[in-house]
Amino acid sequence: MRIDPEKCVGCMECQDYCPMGAISGVEGKDGYISEINQDDCVECSGCLRSAVCPTDAIYMPELEWPRCVRAEFSNPAVSYTSAEKFGFREPGGGLGRGTYEMKTNDVSGRFRRGFAGVAIEVGRPGIGTTFRDIQTISMALAEMGIELEPMNPLTAFIDKKTGKVTEAILDETILSAILEFIVRIEQLKEVLQNVRAVSSKIDTVFALDLFTRVNEDGSVPVFSIAKEAGFTCSQATKTNVGLGRPLAKD
Amino acid sequence: MTHTLHRTGDTDSLQMDFVLLVLPDKDFNAEGSSEKMKQFWDLFSRHQGGIVNYGNCSSGNSHRFSIADLKETKNSILNVVFKDRGGLKACLQEIKDRDFGISIIISGLYEEVRKICDEIGLSPHTVGVSLGFHGKTEKLPDNRVLDITTMCGHHMVSHNLVGKMVKEINDKKRTCNEAATELSKQCVCGAFNPFRAEKILEKMAGLMVE
Repeated sequence: MRIDPEKCVGCMECQDYCPMGAISGVEGKDGYISEINQDDCVECSGCLRSAVCPTDAIYMPELEWPRCVRAEFSNPAVSYTSAEKFGFREPGGGLGRGTYEMKTNDVSGRFRRGFAGVAIEVGRPGIGTTFRDIQTISMALAEMGIELEPMNPLTAFIDKKTGKVTEAILDETILSAILEFIVRIEQLKEVLQNVRAVSSKIDTVFALDLFTRVNEDGSVPVFSIAKEAGFTCSQATKTNVGLGRPLAKD
Repeated sequence: MTHTLHRTGDTDSLQMDFVLLVLPDKDFNAEGSSEKMKQFWDLFSRHQGGIVNYGNCSSGNSHRFSIADLKETKNSILNVVFKDRGGLKACLQEIKDRDFGISIIISGLYEEVRKICDEIGLSPHTVGVSLGFHGKTEKLPDNRVLDITTMCGHHMVSHNLVGKMVKEINDKKRTCNEAATELSKQCVCGAFNPFRAEKILEKMAGLMVE
């Protein structure tokens, strides 16, 4: 994102709308104006969409590779065009965060009994990340022999064997991206402990998610495993209530 | 897209926050679903008393579009936000009765969702649970700021904007309701809960005795 210095009147109204805090005041020709730090900007269009600029000085320039991945992983209204060139087949319109995860599990059967889905949402909530930090985690997952979910745009940029991220995008900054995979329930405790260990090696945050089929009595098999691994499960969850058809077979 | 999973807050606050998501799957039942998705909007229009926000990623939220407007847009995914379990339960009951055959996902307190399912004869199929935030958590803001900003899972509501809104409330430039609406406008797909945000802002601005 850019701010036209000829149009900006220096009101600073846009600054707090940036999720990355990338907008600050700088000395212009006729006093202070707002400027976007291009290293920190994730091209989410939040500043433009807020419509707070009184002179329409904010605009999005055409984004070329590899900078365009910033918008794809940060602006929910932009589809994953670059990831598609790397083999990603987009689900459901390709907007948002690019994965169905458990949302349609009643029809897809993606997460079956005896297995758990794990998602590591790097950069979330609201801190942002470089792909270099994502690579630190993906390489650790590759060492564990974990295969990432193919129906996820981030996976397209990661080497299956080594976990290395496509070099051209390593230093691009984005709001967040999701490392997503499925493990057997018996492996889950060890995997969670390894994920916790790698969390000290990154310069950002991640949100950690678990997905699983619900037992017939309404209990959730992963709750106790997560607790044994030293994690606290949220009281608010996301629940697929089983109304999709045709229903996937167990 | 796990964007409604990590909504933080205490139990009382989360009692005001349930998101219902409607999502056809491209590989299984999306073909021919556009008419059903329109019918969902008609259904939601009958439950507006309990709904505090709605929208979809490709078009926008309730601050920009009416339900009638959104009904005519591309609807590959729908979000509706309820301010209490009663509104959610009534809507979910009607969705069940209509038997659309499209996946329905509810984000909110699991115990409440489980009870609602039991009351209307549904069984939770799959659950997603948050194990919290990890890594350089010292970079995160105050918990109450997070309680607001995590209501937009795409992070379009900035931590700094919450601070600006609280300051403007205290400076009498905005009411808590106006500030909550301004925050909610930034959430493109309408998953943000301005009703709950207003209550949190009241506490942050020191307008309510706890």
